[in-house]
Amino acid sequence: MSRVVVTGIGIITAIGDSVAHNRKSLMQGLSGIGHAVHFQSKYTGVLPFAEIKYSTPHLAEKLQIHQSGATRTDLVALHAFREAIKDANLSGEILMSANTALIGASTVGGMCLTDEMYADANHTGDQGSEYLGSYPNNACTMFLQAQYNIGGIVNTFNTACSSSANSIMYGARLIKNGLAKRVIAGGVDTLAKFTVNGFNSLMILSNEPCRLFDAARKGLNLGEAAAFVVLEKEEDATGKTIYAEVKGYGNSNDAYHPSSTSPEADGPFLCMQRALKAAGLNPGDIDFINAHGTATENNDETESIAMKRLFETLPKFASTKSYTGHTLGAAGAVEAVYGILNLHHQEVYPSLNFKDAIEATKLIPVQEYTTKNLNYVMSNSFGFGGNCSSLVLGKI
Amino acid sequence: MYIHQHICISPQHTSGNIDLDAVEASKEGKLVALEPKLEGVPPGMIRRMSKAVRMGLGAGLPVVTNNEVDGIIIGTANGGMEDCIKFLNQIIDYDEGLLTPGNFVQSTPNAIAGQLSLITKNKNYNATHVHLGLAFENALIDAKMLLEENAEAKYLIGGVDEISTYNYNIDYLAGWYNKTIESKKLYEAALPATIAGEGAAMFLVSKRPENAIAKIAAIETVHTTDLGVVQKRFEKFLSQQKVDPSDTIFISGENGDSRLNHFYNACEELVDDLPTVRYKHLTGEYPTVSSFAVWLAGYAVEHQSLPSHFYKNDIRSRQVEKVLLYNNYHGSQHSFIFITKPK
Repeated sequence: MSRVVVTGIGIITAIGDSVAHNRKSLMQGLSGIGHAVHFQSKYTGVLPFAEIKYSTPHLAEKLQIHQSGATRTDLVALHAFREAIKDANLSGEILMSANTALIGASTVGGMCLTDEMYADANHTGDQGSEYLGSYPNNACTMFLQAQYNIGGIVNTFNTACSSSANSIMYGARLIKNGLAKRVIAGGVDTLAKFTVNGFNSLMILSNEPCRLFDAARKGLNLGEAAAFVVLEKEEDATGKTIYAEVKGYGNSNDAYHPSSTSPEADGPFLCMQRALKAAGLNPGDIDFINAHGTATENNDETESIAMKRLFETLPKFASTKSYTGHTLGAAGAVEAVYGILNLHHQEVYPSLNFKDAIEATKLIPVQEYTTKNLNYVMSNSFGFGGNCSSLVLGKI
Repeated sequence: MYIHQHICISPQHTSGNIDLDAVEASKEGKLVALEPKLEGVPPGMIRRMSKAVRMGLGAGLPVVTNNEVDGIIIGTANGGMEDCIKFLNQIIDYDEGLLTPGNFVQSTPNAIAGQLSLITKNKNYNATHVHLGLAFENALIDAKMLLEENAEAKYLIGGVDEISTYNYNIDYLAGWYNKTIESKKLYEAALPATIAGEGAAMFLVSKRPENAIAKIAAIETVHTTDLGVVQKRFEKFLSQQKVDPSDTIFISGENGDSRLNHFYNACEELVDDLPTVRYKHLTGEYPTVSSFAVWLAGYAVEHQSLPSHFYKNDIRSRQVEKVLLYNNYHGSQHSFIFITKPK
């Protein structure tokens, strides 16, 4: 079976509007978590957010998109998508081929327009807004499809915070099963009153920059991002930069509670175990884990338990959510891109704001930028509804 | 991929004592699903569930309760939209004040697959495809790949969507629905709109042909608004299947919307020697309605006939060995599916 490899990457987060800019911030330990400027909510000045540093009109201008109905989510997705297809040198003709698939992911979709959606959904006016077709979870995927007339299988996942890990997994499987020759896979979410109020009602938003795996962690910070990877078969990628191999993937359900992980962390444990099995690797082969690490009370402890269950000697681990915040449906793809950068540049980016280990598990994340021999990197993503996914990426 | 069990909750009598002759009509442009009593779920849980989750459990639980499946794969455009907007309304109405998280937690589209896993303690593969009019088709593609990867496995796949006040309002404002259209005269309405519907259809699938109801032989999807592209793709799809006028029926997703008729007519013309069957006078329109069509195809090969109200033309097959399906959603998401009797 030929290998599925990554030939293009694109990303936009609070720490940069390109792959290069994101890497620079990661190397320098520069977090994107702070005061939001563009996102309008009662919580704007109260809670820290990891906001993309462009207003929505600025993004539209930058991307030369003038059509009505395009949301911030659509635009952010397009920004990362364009970088990825340019990087992989995919022409317009190739994108229109029936062999080119597009797999997106989002939890918020067009709901970033909370007030407009309120008016439309409650039919408060005589006429609808320009966004009537922009609200569904898949709206950003449809937007990208229509921009480039993508001719193959097109799909969108919503498995909450593991969504875009599943889109990459599905993309790799489409290639392995011969249902696509190349896949652009990833995800997007932007800041929305809906998610901010939702996570706030669950009392898991921190009023300070998140402290991953720290005993005194107070919760997560919400962020916004889009990231896409271009996947191809190794033999089709001759002459292209090959960043990494998608080596394995695992998916499970924790089957415990709609919004928290079980004390034994079966879901996280099983998805990591299945990813290793699919990759044909042993736990000892993993050199680094980019953990889900949200800094909620529940996640960091249960994820630690799962990692300790699976790994006799725990590999080095960290979580990049201390830079980008939790970008929900985009998180799996954002962190896959960072895992690809880990491998491509043979380097590890530190977790920020860590002081003291969690009493019960005593795990300490990487806290300094280091260069390191890395063959295999694991990336975890867990979500509401018990959805857990793990990806294993390999050096080429 | 073979269907071994199929359960359908719809606005018609499709679950329990199935009666496709007794047709329930639409009211105010909506066909609302008839819900069976939900067994095996604590009443306290049921009270907090949206209709989408209840329908998903109603159709899915009977399949997974007696079968430890290797995965649960759901296609749904909206999941529990009602909860989603209830929470959104609270945000605005209480000016982002202190809110209760109940509706927020229930609002995620993956709640259906999540609840099915939770109730049956199923920790296997679990996915929710939300790609609107092709969400169910992607669930099929997902299962098809999983069966290639794991030949001994069996999966629950399903399509679920509800009419919520809110998605109805949004699609109504966008011009997709008209409250004056009646299901009885759906195909004669000649208006640029249709009626809304909802339902859940669930399938147990595996690679084993023994005792199967039907085989899902092929599936193809495409995004386009160009009629020529749809015709070309359908012709190619037809050329790859063994379609025989003596034993094949064509199930069309025609929904009366005058803006979409040219797609359905063009595909129908390409198979004009087949009986054409329509069903949206029973279901209304919703993003995952093709899951009802797959259930109907299974029913047709199982029972070898359908009541006459389904038939559009006068052609009849001697027997129903194969079913060809075409559906499109909002004129941009198209799917072709080929279903046969298991050999």
